[in-house]
Amino acid sequence: MKPRTLLAMFIIPMGLIIAAVPQNKTKPYKLTADQLLAEVNTRTQYITPDAVADMIVKKDPSLRLIDVRSQEEFEKFSLPGAVNIPVNDLLSDKYTDILNQDVKMNVFYSNGSLVANEAWMITRQLGYINNYVLEGGLNYWFDAIMNPQKPSTVNSDEEFAKYDFRKSAGAALGGGGVVASTSEQTSASPKPAIKPAAKKKKAAGGC
Amino acid sequence: MTKSKERKVRPYINPYVGGVLLGLVLLAANFVSGRGLGASGAIKSTVVTAMNTVAPEASANSGFVKEFGEAHSGSPMKTWLVFEMMGVLVGGFLSGALAGRLRFKVEHSPKITSRRRLIFALAGGVLFGFGSQLGRGCTSGSALSGMAVLSLGGFVTMMAIFGTAFALAYFFRKNWI
Amino acid sequence: MGPLSVNELISENTNLFLAFIIGIGFGFVLEQSGFSSSRKLAGVFYGYDTVVLKVFFTAAITAMLGLLFFSLFGWIDLNLVYVNPTYLTSAILGGIIMGVGFIMGGYCPGTSFCGASIGKLDALVFIGGLFLGVFIFGLGYNLWEGTYMANFLGSPKVSESLGMSDGIFAFILIIIALAMFWVAEWAEKKFPREEY
Repeated sequence: MKPRTLLAMFIIPMGLIIAAVPQNKTKPYKLTADQLLAEVNTRTQYITPDAVADMIVKKDPSLRLIDVRSQEEFEKFSLPGAVNIPVNDLLSDKYTDILNQDVKMNVFYSNGSLVANEAWMITRQLGYINNYVLEGGLNYWFDAIMNPQKPSTVNSDEEFAKYDFRKSAGAALGGGGVVASTSEQTSASPKPAIKPAAKKKKAAGGC
Repeated sequence: MTKSKERKVRPYINPYVGGVLLGLVLLAANFVSGRGLGASGAIKSTVVTAMNTVAPEASANSGFVKEFGEAHSGSPMKTWLVFEMMGVLVGGFLSGALAGRLRFKVEHSPKITSRRRLIFALAGGVLFGFGSQLGRGCTSGSALSGMAVLSLGGFVTMMAIFGTAFALAYFFRKNWI
Repeated sequence: MGPLSVNELISENTNLFLAFIIGIGFGFVLEQSGFSSSRKLAGVFYGYDTVVLKVFFTAAITAMLGLLFFSLFGWIDLNLVYVNPTYLTSAILGGIIMGVGFIMGGYCPGTSFCGASIGKLDALVFIGGLFLGVFIFGLGYNLWEGTYMANFLGSPKVSESLGMSDGIFAFILIIIALAMFWVAEWAEKKFPREEY
């Protein structure tokens, strides 16, 4: 028998089988419920507004803020440089490159921390790393960074240092007496186009 | 140059058998590392290393080196493709030794000189090297591995490579036939 | 289960060691199939030797079928397998430049290393050219960065772009490949050839 015929007799039936069966589209969970619960209890996914503000002010390139609220809310106000991934679209393939990587530090935020935490739990269960949640969400962000309360004189020096930092960070970020609804200054900052980071978790490029 | 008949040279294996074996190697690569085979990536690693060594300041500012650094952590020589290409050299040598094909020679059509063949080889290499960077992969990395994972870019690159070579084949026929 | 290194079932060093082993297999099969000979490689463009076409497509189909079946059995997670991103402009332009390089040089990067390993001097010169070409690309990167990044389409699969399942596309590709093999064998009979 000719080799070509032999090859055809082998690959045509294989092709027919693979064409006939449905694709395996399951997204396997990488973490069991127990593992996730243990991680949730450590609360290590939270990152404080102070740390985030510090990174924004220093223009730390490893920080990537991800706004998990709806697009309308995102357009009304967002933190500087944030990208918008509404939690409903979290599993969309086009965002996998952003969420599943080990180069940048992704910080989810929503108004409170509830929705951001949901996003974190889903991505974490898929085995993604380097995703975090802004503690307290935007509400706490405004209290802490944009309108910090001057500590009373009985507080420690540490409190004052924190206050000074928050005040200057808030000023640098366009805050300082500015309330959420009127802080166009911040939201007007140019938003970077969504650019996929190097796929490290997926094996890096070939030839 | 006619080939010497006095040396016993084993014939090549059937192309379909070779194809299936190559496919299995490619499958193994995907199974182990989640990526296909490649060749020009190893050259890129070497070039980046050379640029870093020879002119560290200039290369740190080069977008090319930066882009490479974003995609690879650690030393540029300690990458999958570099190790794979070292294996290719060993594997090719083993196969050549088994089949009795180890010989220094410049292979070319009897109609042209060795010198002409080498000039064309160099020019072809420069173009291929350049094109493989622009096209993000050569025939193995982009076209072959890309086709195996059904990548649109892989198919486009494959058609562009073979289409162009076919279209220009007539002008270079003296080099080969 | 698979891919092993992505799922961290094997260490980074084991992964590199396996890369070396896989490379040996790659080089061995290429050489055994005759890919160390530039005249044999170039033969596909004149019809006198179509081994490139046969090996290339048989390999792509074997690996593709393997991946689809592995995915079906749950042995490999295709979401974690690297799918080359598609930058349409650079894919076409790069492909055209590589095509010119192929017909002039007679090798592609993988096969030139294979040829050099058994002592082909033209392959060695070709490799020198490759380094030069990559270096030129690196030097003038800023000049063609725009072209390099243009028309980014993400990492789509052909099957998705054509709106069919992976399996059906695979089957169509198999039929196309077999038709090409038939034409190739016809061409080999029509055009005289000798073994190089």
